[in-house]
Amino acid sequence: MPVYEIEHLTKIYKGRSTPANDDLSFTVEQGEIFGLLGDNGAGKTTLVRQMVNLLTPTSGTIRLFGKPLNDSAMYTPLQIGYMPQSSNALNMLTVAETFYFAAHLRGLSRNDAQRERDRLIDLLHLGDSRDMVVPRLSGGQKRMVLLGTTLAAMRPVLILDEPTNDLSPQNRRLVWELLRRINQEQGTTIILVTHNAIEAEKIIQRVGIMSRGKMIALGQPGRLKGELNEQLRLEVIFAPDSPPEFPQTPHKIAPGRWQLLIDRTDAPTYLDIINRTPSIEDFQLSTATLEDLYLHLADNGG
Amino acid sequence: MQPFAMQVWDLFLMQMTNWRWSWRGALLTSMIAPLLSMVAFKAFANDDPLALRYILTGNIVFSLLFGTSDKIATNFAYMRATGMLDFFASMPLSRVALILASAAAFLLMTLPTMVVILIMGTLILDLPLVVNGWVVLVVPLIGFSLCGLGAVIGTLRLPMPEVGSLSALVNFLLLFLGPVMLPPERISPALRAVGYFSPSTYAASALRNTLFQHGDPIALWVDVIVLAGVMVGFLWWSARRMDWRQV
Repeated sequence: MPVYEIEHLTKIYKGRSTPANDDLSFTVEQGEIFGLLGDNGAGKTTLVRQMVNLLTPTSGTIRLFGKPLNDSAMYTPLQIGYMPQSSNALNMLTVAETFYFAAHLRGLSRNDAQRERDRLIDLLHLGDSRDMVVPRLSGGQKRMVLLGTTLAAMRPVLILDEPTNDLSPQNRRLVWELLRRINQEQGTTIILVTHNAIEAEKIIQRVGIMSRGKMIALGQPGRLKGELNEQLRLEVIFAPDSPPEFPQTPHKIAPGRWQLLIDRTDAPTYLDIINRTPSIEDFQLSTATLEDLYLHLADNGG
Repeated sequence: MQPFAMQVWDLFLMQMTNWRWSWRGALLTSMIAPLLSMVAFKAFANDDPLALRYILTGNIVFSLLFGTSDKIATNFAYMRATGMLDFFASMPLSRVALILASAAAFLLMTLPTMVVILIMGTLILDLPLVVNGWVVLVVPLIGFSLCGLGAVIGTLRLPMPEVGSLSALVNFLLLFLGPVMLPPERISPALRAVGYFSPSTYAASALRNTLFQHGDPIALWVDVIVLAGVMVGFLWWSARRMDWRQV
C-alpha cells in the first residue's frame, strides 16, 4: 500500500487567483526517500503542509496509509514526524528538555523519553549544547534541534522541510548520512523538501520537481536525468561582473560564479576558451545533476 | 499517544520551564495596573464599604482576567507567528490540553499577584477579610473561565498587535460592562442589565461572597455554576472554532 496517495490536489489561498498547488496527483511508496525539488514559491511547502494536515486543501484528496487525512485530527501526528521550515518553532527550553518533551508527548514513558533524549543528543552531536536554551543557539544548531524533535519517538513517515538549511558542510553530511541510515535500517519513509538538490541527490530515490504549483517531472533521478544525457554541467569562477564570453550565455548562480549546460561534443570548444581566458579563476566540468534537470525543465516551461 | 491529563501536565511543565527566565518581570508588571487602579478608585468610593469591596474584588478579577485570557491570546498569537503552533499541531496533542495547560500556567503566575493585591488592597482600602474555603475553587474558575475565548482570539488570522488590541478591548468591556469595579447603584441601568450577561459580573460576585463576611451562599452557588458553564462553553467553542488547521 502506498504511504501517500494524492489525487487532484489543488490549493488556492484566500484572496489569490493563482493556485499554490495545481491539480497534483502522485503517490509516495513505503520505505522510499522521496524528494520534492523546486524554486522558491513553487508550492512545495504548501504541499507538505497539506500532507501533514496543517492546511486544508481547496479540492482533491490526500490519503495516508489508505485513510483520508481529514477523517481524524489525531491520525496524522501518530504517523508522521514533521520538521517545519522555520527554526523559531521551539520554546525557551534547553536542548535536553526539548528532546525529552517531544519524545514524551509522542507517547514514550518517562524513562524511555529520557533515553531517547540522550540518544538524540549523541546522534546529532549536541552534547556541548545539551543544557543551552534553544533560542540562544546558532541557526545551524537550532536546525539540528528541530531535526531531533522530529526524530524523537520515531514515526513511520518523516516529512522534512529544508532540513539542511543553515547547516555547516559537516552537519549537512551528518544529516544526509543519518537520513540514509534511518531509511535503510528502519524502513522509514522520508519525504524531503530541499533546495539543495546536488546534495540531496545522493540519497533521494524518487523525485518530484515542482514549478509554479505544478509537478513538472516525477520519477527516479537517474531516469529523469536521462533527458540530459548528452549534456555536461560547466561551472566557472570568474571575477568580473559580466559573464565569460562563451557561445552560450551562462546563468549567474552566485557573485562571480556562473553555470551552464553544454553538449558533450562542445566541451573542447569551451575548454579552449577557458584556457585562453586568464580571468577565469577556476572551473568544474561534470555530468548533469538534478538541479540542472530542474533548471532545464523550468526554462522549458516543464 | 499520552492520556489527556498527561498531555496537560507536560504542556504545563513546558510553559513553566519557558518562563523561568522571565517570571520576575511578568510578575512585577502584572501588579502595577491593579494596584494603581485601587488607589485611584478609592478616591471615588467615599469610604463606602460596599464600594470598597467592589474595588478590591474588581481589581482581582482584572488581574485574573488579564493574567489568563489576555495572556493566552497574546501567547497563542506569538505561537502562531513563530510556527510554534504548527509544531504543537503536528504532535499527537489535544488543542484543549494546550489551552488548559497554558491557562493553568498563567494562572499560577498570577496567583502571587493576586495575593499581593489582596494584602495591599485590604491595607489601602482598610477592609477586613474573612476568607471562605470556596476561594480555592472560585479563583481557578475565574482564571479558567475565559481561557477558551483567549485561545480563539489568539489564533484569529490577525497581526500580533491587533490580537493584543482586540483582547484588551474584550477584557476592558468585560470589566466595565456590569457591576464589577463599581456597585450596581453607581452604574446606569443599561450597564447593570448588560452585566447579567458578562462572566466578570459573576466572577466579582463570587469573590465578594468568599472574601468578606456575610457572603450569600445561594448567590455563590449561582456564580460558581455560571463560571463553570462559561468555562466549559468557551472551551467547547474554542475546540471547534480555534484556527488550528489553516484554511
